[in-house]
Amino acid sequence: MKKTDLLQGTLDLLVLKVLQQGPQHGYGVAQKILLKSRSAIDVQQGSLYPALHRLQKKGLVSSEWKEAESGRMARVYALTQAGRQQLAFEEEQWTQYAAAMGLVLEGE
Amino acid sequence: MQWPKIQWPGRKEDRELRQEIEHHLDSLTEAYRKQGHSEAEARRLARIDFGGAEHIREECQEIEWWHWPSQLLRDVAFGVRMLRKTPALTGAALLSLALGIGATTAILSIAEVVLLRPLAISSPDHFYELMWESKDRIDLYKSASGSNFQDGAMRVADFFSLSALDAMRNSLAGKAHVASHIGKQPASVSAQGAVVVAPVHAVGGNFFQAVGVQPERGRGFVDEDDAASATPVAVISYAFWKTNLGSSEDVLNTNLRINNVYYRVVGVLPQAFFGIAPDDDTEIYVPIRQSPLWLQERSFYRERGAEPKTWPTQIVVRRMPEISELALREQLQAAFASSWVSQPVSVEKTPYLRLNNAAQGLGSLRRQMGNPLLMLAGLVLLVLTIACVNIANLLLARSVSREKEFALRAVLGSGRGRLLRQLFTESLLLALLGGACSIPVAWSLMKLIVTFMPDGFARVAASGPDWRMLAATATITVVTAILFGLYPSWRGGRVNVAPALKEGAGSAGTHSRWTWAPAKALVLLQISLSVLLVSSAILFTGYLWDILHRDTGYAQGNLLFFDLRPGEAGHRNDRLRQFYLQLEARLATVPGVESVGLSQTRPMRGGGYWNTIKLPGQTAEGGISAGIHHATPNFLDALGVPLLAGRNFTQQELARDAKVVLISEKLSRELGLNNPIGERIVVDNIEQEIVGLTKDARYARMTDDPPVVYMPLALGKVDSATIALRTSMSPMALLPTVRAAIQELDRDLPLVDIYTMEQQISRTLQRERLFAWLCGSFGVLALVLCVVGLFGLFSYTTARRIPEIGIRMAVGASRANVVKQVFAEGLRLTVAGIIPGIPLAAYAGWIARSQQLLPEDASSYAYSSLAIALGILAASALLAVAMPAIRASRVDPISALRNG
Repeated sequence: MKKTDLLQGTLDLLVLKVLQQGPQHGYGVAQKILLKSRSAIDVQQGSLYPALHRLQKKGLVSSEWKEAESGRMARVYALTQAGRQQLAFEEEQWTQYAAAMGLVLEGE
Repeated sequence: MQWPKIQWPGRKEDRELRQEIEHHLDSLTEAYRKQGHSEAEARRLARIDFGGAEHIREECQEIEWWHWPSQLLRDVAFGVRMLRKTPALTGAALLSLALGIGATTAILSIAEVVLLRPLAISSPDHFYELMWESKDRIDLYKSASGSNFQDGAMRVADFFSLSALDAMRNSLAGKAHVASHIGKQPASVSAQGAVVVAPVHAVGGNFFQAVGVQPERGRGFVDEDDAASATPVAVISYAFWKTNLGSSEDVLNTNLRINNVYYRVVGVLPQAFFGIAPDDDTEIYVPIRQSPLWLQERSFYRERGAEPKTWPTQIVVRRMPEISELALREQLQAAFASSWVSQPVSVEKTPYLRLNNAAQGLGSLRRQMGNPLLMLAGLVLLVLTIACVNIANLLLARSVSREKEFALRAVLGSGRGRLLRQLFTESLLLALLGGACSIPVAWSLMKLIVTFMPDGFARVAASGPDWRMLAATATITVVTAILFGLYPSWRGGRVNVAPALKEGAGSAGTHSRWTWAPAKALVLLQISLSVLLVSSAILFTGYLWDILHRDTGYAQGNLLFFDLRPGEAGHRNDRLRQFYLQLEARLATVPGVESVGLSQTRPMRGGGYWNTIKLPGQTAEGGISAGIHHATPNFLDALGVPLLAGRNFTQQELARDAKVVLISEKLSRELGLNNPIGERIVVDNIEQEIVGLTKDARYARMTDDPPVVYMPLALGKVDSATIALRTSMSPMALLPTVRAAIQELDRDLPLVDIYTMEQQISRTLQRERLFAWLCGSFGVLALVLCVVGLFGLFSYTTARRIPEIGIRMAVGASRANVVKQVFAEGLRLTVAGIIPGIPLAAYAGWIARSQQLLPEDASSYAYSSLAIALGILAASALLAVAMPAIRASRVDPISALRNG
């Protein structure tokens, strides 16, 4: 199967979802997404960063520099209140959308 | 890629982003290493997983506010470095731009002033200059003052009778202002103790209403001012007020002495108003009936102006909004017709009015310089085209040579939009730099050009280049630069990255023929336009050279002229005669002065006094038109015209205005006199005895050689005279001593129009010099640009064909073969460009002749200059191709093949 091209909105949703479980640096977010999707969704890991910066610009995510496990400084991203609301809203939308798609596809 | 060190906005953010990416890559590498990969392999895999770091950084930055300015700064900084990397190419492009834009702006700015700029008057569109035209010579007038000219089949003139003026004024009262003015002439003006000579314009009482200008201070004239019994009043220009009256606040109480009559200043005109024509340099306006022209002795205007068959005045008209132009013309024509002394015998002999809109000023300058300026504007636009072509070519050449760089950047993840923006910035940068350089070029060129134009034009240079013209010209070049600068990115889709990178120093790749097609087409265009420009350059400079080297009949060096106007300073009759005689005697004693003479007409001023010369008993038809020069006996010595037979006239003959003349060889020949001495001729119905025969001399101008009569100058009756000094040293160095000597005789007498003979000659050749200088420089410019274009094209094409040449040489081609091949190609291109250029050049030569810029018999001239131009072009083309050809022949086959 050809590696899936992610819709931009989808990547944002994935990032928000991963951050729901707690603050994380970029590398961590990438690994979590790979792990959870069992590598089916293969993002170019670098492309997380434009997404993270975009979310931060929108105020859905905040960031600060912290010491990582390796002992080096890393930028850690966390969900903001607005981010949580946006996540809930987008999850809701996605579920409805997926359900609708499911209905149509099953009906065939 | 290393960015220049400038404190960008977002620098901190960028550093943090780099750290973040670094951290991510390190963590990934670490993970792969734990899976057992080697350090290097782990790093490689991490990079693959992560994707293009540069690209991601850009994407992150794009969402920030500082992205756009920061990118722009980077692009500019990078562009500057790229331009500096190729200084020859950048220099050539900047030079093309600066000269192309500068020259075009200068010519167009001047053309704009002459042809388009409206006068600083209220509703200029309602201001007209009145003229009349007729097919045949009309017999409604006997004498006139004004100007006339031929316009196609029509004779056009600008003079009217005073009764016509009155009829028009009465008929249009309340609907239009119809005002009279009778010409401008220099007069001695004494203001605040200093005497200057200033142009004084004699105008009717309603002149300023008709023109539509309101004095800034005081008042304009009223009809009562224009009466013989009125108190003399004057209105002065802003410039005169500022320069000669020191912007004095109580200017309105000041008295000016103009030619010995006191005038009270009643008004100062606004600063923006400089006269009623683009080259009008009037400083003082006075009412006609109080003007020097009217008050002077034997005044044509005063004594004969009111005669029914005298048409002495010019007319300007301002139309009120209530009346249409058509109705105005009809009513003026009816009034005009009512003033005629008799009914014209035929339609051909009937004058019909021409109501010329004078929003841009009266038309004499437009008639004189309009077409020449348009021609120059046409030529300079061709130069601009060549300059644009050159820039296009240079940018093309550069882009082709940078193909590898672009391919590399594409591989590194640079999007096409990004490349486009970089190229755009670079082209724009080049164009803007060129535009900036063009401003001083335009300034200095304008200054140069106005020295070739009528005197009133100095003001034009002061106003500087027209910004709209500069903007328009700059836009053309900027668009060209951008268009061709972006060409490589337009080609971007065609360039296959891999072969472009492999191509290296160059190869005989399949697309190279196509690559150079636009460049070759541009060079062809350049060559054909250059044929035109170079041949006109040779034509006009050759013509000027020829004129300047014609035999004048006397030595031109060490000859100084100036005018004195003692009559206007109060010297009269015998006192005036005494003054002139003392002056001549006194100046002759100044060390360094060899001889001194006085004359009424200054040599090489272009004009003069002409009359028909007859033998006694001959009819007027048999007469010969000759220049009449009133002079003192010493004048011929000072000028240096040799006497061939007979004698000069004596001081006694001068003193009693004896009826004796000297004639030139040519006149003697044309009158059919074998031995003219002692014969008699009739000048102005008066019989004169010929006492001497002179060698022919060019008197009025270099371009014609008419027969001449010299007559004694009636010293007691001429208000002004030209003094000629033949010196034994540099004439200008003598000036202070000469001035001091004159001050001994009259403290307040200013020396006017001080010129050496060389200066005097060049002043009559303004138009010829204008064309020679400008066309000459256009030609040189075109040639240089052409050589640069060809050189650039061939350097790049041969450089890229080195592997091919290598192969040819490896299989046995000699160096001579290679050189021959490159030369042959250059020659083919040149010939292909020259062929369409020949009819262009021939056409331009024809236009120049039909516009009387060149004499009708100049066609042989035109052919030889075209031939010379072709020779020069071909030689320069070969020169331009020579270096690349020689370089190609030095190719070492082995290394060429290895690198290919």
